Amino acid sequence: MMTPLFKYGMFGEEFSLLVAFVLGLGFGFCLERAGFGSARKLAAQFYLYDMSVFKVMFTAIVTAMLGVTYLGWIGWLDLGLVYLVPTHLGPQLVGGLVLGVGFVIGGYCPGTSVASLATGRIDAMVYALGIFAGTFVYAEVYPAIKGFVNADAMGQVTLPEVLGLPYGVVVFAVVAIAVVGFWGATKIERWVGSKS
Amino acid sequence: MRLPALTLNQKLAVLALALGALALFAQPQRGPFVKLDARELALVVESEVDHVTAAELAAWIVEGRADYRLLDLRTEQDYATYHVPTAENVPLSGLTDYPLQRNEKIMLYSEGGIHSAQAWMLLRAQGYEAVYMVLGGLESWKDEVLFPSLPADADAQARARFERAAQVAKFFGGEARLGSDAAAPAAGAELPKLAAPPPSPGPAAPVAKKKKKEGC
Repeated sequence: MMTPLFKYGMFGEEFSLLVAFVLGLGFGFCLERAGFGSARKLAAQFYLYDMSVFKVMFTAIVTAMLGVTYLGWIGWLDLGLVYLVPTHLGPQLVGGLVLGVGFVIGGYCPGTSVASLATGRIDAMVYALGIFAGTFVYAEVYPAIKGFVNADAMGQVTLPEVLGLPYGVVVFAVVAIAVVGFWGATKIERWVGSKS
Repeated sequence: MRLPALTLNQKLAVLALALGALALFAQPQRGPFVKLDARELALVVESEVDHVTAAELAAWIVEGRADYRLLDLRTEQDYATYHVPTAENVPLSGLTDYPLQRNEKIMLYSEGGIHSAQAWMLLRAQGYEAVYMVLGGLESWKDEVLFPSLPADADAQARARFERAAQVAKFFGGEARLGSDAAAPAAGAELPKLAAPPPSPGPAAPVAKKKKKEGC
């Protein structure tokens, strides 16, 4: 999701890169402070004894969703200008799976690997090399898998549209799912922790 | 009585739930900005599935189909003078605020075809999927449906088609023209009076009614 300030023409291309750099620094700082610069903490998510990644991601989703909802409601943000990645259901499921497997094996997701790299961790440097290698291979095989990558084009869809529910109902449902999820995640952490 | 002390996490959960509950009533504004899938639209236009002919529309109205919204994009005065039965008057500038559902079949017509083509683009850009133009607009409605004509040297097949068209023309209060009459421009012909609308096209909207409310 990108802020529409750039689209509103409030600043140009060069300044937008500067803004992206500052936002990126802030993002990386927060990731590191949250302990997400450590592959151990990140991989722990998949062994269920530390659900921090789940909680952080869902907190980010709920915070951003509520912010966008209220800014849009007040009229400060035009939701029509917020960029949505077009949905390709099948290819994105496969892509998510590839990313997930890489996450478990390498202990990082792309963003956290860069933050970790900045702190000088060697495993993050190896991981970053893997990112470049993967990007290169993908670009080379792209002509062959192009048909699949572009399959299932659903356009820029949102949950309210797909589910046919009012916007507010989806917002409330996501918040409710998050709160129940946090409660459940803490239970799982205690249960797994008590077994080991 | 004292409330039990909440942890920070619990307070945050309560805050999120409260904001979420209030958001049930939220109606975020989308604004007039839209996104276009240019390639998809170009394909739709190229494959000519973006329009229906006046004759097809006439057949629908005769059948009394009610699964579409017919929008007249001309001015109020033009609309009051004559409009295609079941049409609703929507000026182009009011189109984006007009109560339409994204899953409705929407038919557009204007005097010629330019305004309806522009409106078609606006609606498609806003995510209305089933939008169609009436090819040639009201001009072609007059020529093909209200006042169809048959050249003197037409063959039997064309005559049979003309017989059917003549019945449709009568249904809509027009008049079919034969032979030398056909040369006369339809524009000079008297348009059917709105006071005597054609037989009700079934459950579709009443002819003279404007700005139909949502919910069909």
